[in-house]
Formats: sequence, structure tokens, C-alpha cells
Amino acid sequence: MERRDFFKKAAVTAGAAALGTSALEAGVTHQPNNNRKIMDIAFPEKRPLITYSDRPPLLETPQNVFTCALTPNDQFFVRWHMPDIPTYIDMDKFTISVNGMVKKELKISLKELKEDYEQVEVTAVLQCGGNSRSAFTPTAGGIQWGSGAMGCAQWKGVRLRDILDRAGVKKGAEWLAVQGSEKAAYYETPNFIRELHLDELDDHVIIAYQMNGEDLPYLNGFPVRLVVPGVYSDSWIKMIDNITVSDKYQNLFFMDHAYVVPDNECECETPEKLFPKTKPIYRMNVKSVIGYPLNGAKLTLKSQAVIRGVAFDGGAGIKDVLISLDGGKTWDKSLLDSGKLGRYAYRTFRYSFRPDKLGKLEIMAKAINKLGEEQPLSKDIKWNHGGYKYNGIDVITVEVV
Amino acid sequence: MTIIKKIILTTLLAATPMMAQVKEKIEVPYVAFPVKMGKGFETVQANCLMCHSFGYIINQGRQSRAFWKGKIQKMIVHFKAPITDKDAKIIENYLFTHYGNGKEK
Repeated sequence: MERRDFFKKAAVTAGAAALGTSALEAGVTHQPNNNRKIMDIAFPEKRPLITYSDRPPLLETPQNVFTCALTPNDQFFVRWHMPDIPTYIDMDKFTISVNGMVKKELKISLKELKEDYEQVEVTAVLQCGGNSRSAFTPTAGGIQWGSGAMGCAQWKGVRLRDILDRAGVKKGAEWLAVQGSEKAAYYETPNFIRELHLDELDDHVIIAYQMNGEDLPYLNGFPVRLVVPGVYSDSWIKMIDNITVSDKYQNLFFMDHAYVVPDNECECETPEKLFPKTKPIYRMNVKSVIGYPLNGAKLTLKSQAVIRGVAFDGGAGIKDVLISLDGGKTWDKSLLDSGKLGRYAYRTFRYSFRPDKLGKLEIMAKAINKLGEEQPLSKDIKWNHGGYKYNGIDVITVEVV
Repeated sequence: MTIIKKIILTTLLAATPMMAQVKEKIEVPYVAFPVKMGKGFETVQANCLMCHSFGYIINQGRQSRAFWKGKIQKMIVHFKAPITDKDAKIIENYLFTHYGNGKEK
């Protein structure tokens, strides 16, 4: 294929992904758009994925991957904010600087990170706050993600607390600002920084250099990224190069203006009347996604059929995933995996049944966590301007033939 | 037997690219998003593409004039993009014409 044709073809595919028109009822949250095509261009270390933007790269994991407890690195979603991401890092010179209100400033090389600190692992779900945003009506601002702006991986690295202990946090320090190396086109543009309160640092917050047993893929934040289990991905700073400890909180664009929801109980508002006070998105709510079968699949009458998917929450852990085949009138427990990957990881579920009626069949999955919190129906999810935190009961429609 | 095993192992290792090592300069591909041509397109090209692709625009979904106006303001106020008032209006019209939902608000 000629290069030109290749791009032309890709452009058509991208177009299909872009403007799906819908005749859905205004103001009612519906199922996210999970039928987007995979683009035929592969990004570095990635298989071809659903592609929203090349600069900054925005790639979505196809839905059929959500049958696996661990998302393969080359299918793991990608979301950057700035156009200038370093494309070459000299590992002989790379360091993470720890400075500010510390007794001893550190410059930690990758070698030191791997050899001088206790190595720990945590399996955790990484999910964009805007995952499934395409479910909101009217269209909420931002990339119209389906349900694939999420993944689960085994992360290996060093506890952030251990690093801070080595540096010695001075009395009165409260905040640390973690910064990555992505840069804007203009010098004045705010950097992508995450402020963490020192109290947020439990043993699970790590600086990771490995993902599913391999070095972090470039597009997932090579060489090191922050891992904050249970918390949305805007906190998981990629390509970390600087950590500053401070007694003051900086007002940050991404944390305080971009990734926010209305600061009221329902975290909701209307386009006509936006709620004046907002708060940063933080802990993830309970959610499940069906990875198999997919929308539009054909199942044979009386055959042994299986439904598979993944469920997770903000760290309380999944108690049950219920399946309904009658539009939500009755619910039946699915089989969950052992849960040995821990409370921050995907719980995979499976449910076997024999389709006994010809025609369209709606399959619904609802996760319930150990706190008793469960997924609402999509139509009961109220709107917010950023289209954040969608966690509706997943519904797919198949045809029994 | 051992030899065969060794050969298989070697082949496997050779076939597994050690990609995560950013030893070589990484190249992120260019994607030609199907953008609409029309009045104001050059202004959009000149101002918006400094920071992001067309994909970033077209994957926001169809939006109101107020939404697009707000996005341009966000680029100016928060991201410090040097967009003149005149260009901002041209970009707003272009976006609303091609990626609008027909509603002013």
C-alpha cells in the first residue's frame, strides 16, 4: 500500500470514530459508544487501537480486552495532555529530583530506584475520569471515550513514602507536587502536576518502573510513573522527573479546573445551571464492563453461552457482579475469579446460560462492592459538565439465532 | 532435546522485541484526521495545531456555539495560547459551522 493510501484509509476509519450522530433523548444518560473501529495505524509498542488523537496521543482499548484480569501492555489505553513528550530519554542521565522542604535533596537514578529501595508490587486499575464520557447527553465536554479508557496492570516500583523518608520531610510540610516531563508548546502553559497531600500516601502509592513484568511502555509513562491505586488516572503522573515537597498547596489547572465534578451530593448539575463549587475527581466508583459477547453478536438458540467481563471499584473490593437477561427484573450472581490480585485489581466475572428465545437479547451486568455500593442504571446517572465518573450498569444487545 | 529447547528459546527471545527500552528515538505516527475544509480553516490550522491534532477537535462530539467559544477561551486563559480576538471569532465560526449541534447555547 502506498503511504498516501494508508493515511487516506486511516482517515476514513478515524472519521467513523469521530462523529457518531445519535437520536437519543436529550438529557438522559445512555450506554457509552463502544462500537468504534480500531484504527489501522499502530503507535510505538502498541497494537492498533481506537485512536482519537495523535498529538497528544489518545488511544482507547477495544472492549473485547475486558475479559482479561490484566490488560496487555500493548493494548493499554493512552492519554497525554501536552504536545511535547520527550521521545528519547538517556537512561545514564535520567533522575527523579526530590526537593523542596526536605532535609536532603535527592536525585534518584533508575538504577538506584531499583537497587537502593525496597521493591514492591501492586495490581491496580488505571482509569481515566472521563472514561465512558460518550454516555452523557447533552454531549459533555472532552474526548468522547467509550469504556476503554481503563486497564489493569501489575505495577512494580518503590513506595513514594520510602523515597520521602530517605529525603527526610521537614516539619510543617504538607503537600508534594509530582511532575512529569511532558511539555506544552508555550512556556506559559501550566505544567501537568499532581498535588498529593502527605496523608494520602499509604503503602500502595508507588513510583513504578514496571508494568506487567516489562518496562513501562513509552506511551504509558516510561521510565517511571506514579501509581495511586483506587484513584482516577489524572493522579497517576507519567514520566515523573520532579517531586517537590511544600507546606503550601498550589492552585493547579488540571486538578482544580479541569478534572473536577460539582461539589454537591449527586455530583451533578445541568447545562443551564452549572453548580458553582467544584471538587477534584478522586476515588473511583464501582463499575463493570462486559467484554464478551460484544454488541451485535449472534448467539445460537439453546447453545451454551457465556458472558465475561471485569469489575472494579476504588479499593473496597468487588462483592458480586449480577447479570440480568430480562431487562433488570431479575438478577443472578455471576462467578467471580479468586480475587487474589487484590482489592485494587479487576475482578473478572463469567456467567453461563442457554439462550431460550429467538431474537434480540439484552444482557446487563451490575457490580456491587463490599461497601454495598452498586452501579446505577445509565438513565439514573445525572449529568456533569466534564462527563466524569460514568459508572452505569453495562448493557449489551445480542441476537439469538 | 535440550538443543531443540535452546533453539526454540533463542528464537522466542529474538522474536520478542525489547521495545520498552527507549534506546532509540521513538516516533509517534502522524494521523490524518478527516477534517472539514471551509472558511476559517487556515486560521484553525495556524492557531490550534500548535498544541493538538485535529482529532482532538473532532472527537469532542457535536457541540453548541457556547461550548466552542468556551473551549477557545480555555486555550487562551488557561493554556496561554496567543490567539487574537479576531482569530478567536473566526475559529468559533468554523468550529460551530462544521462541528456544531445547531444550538447557540
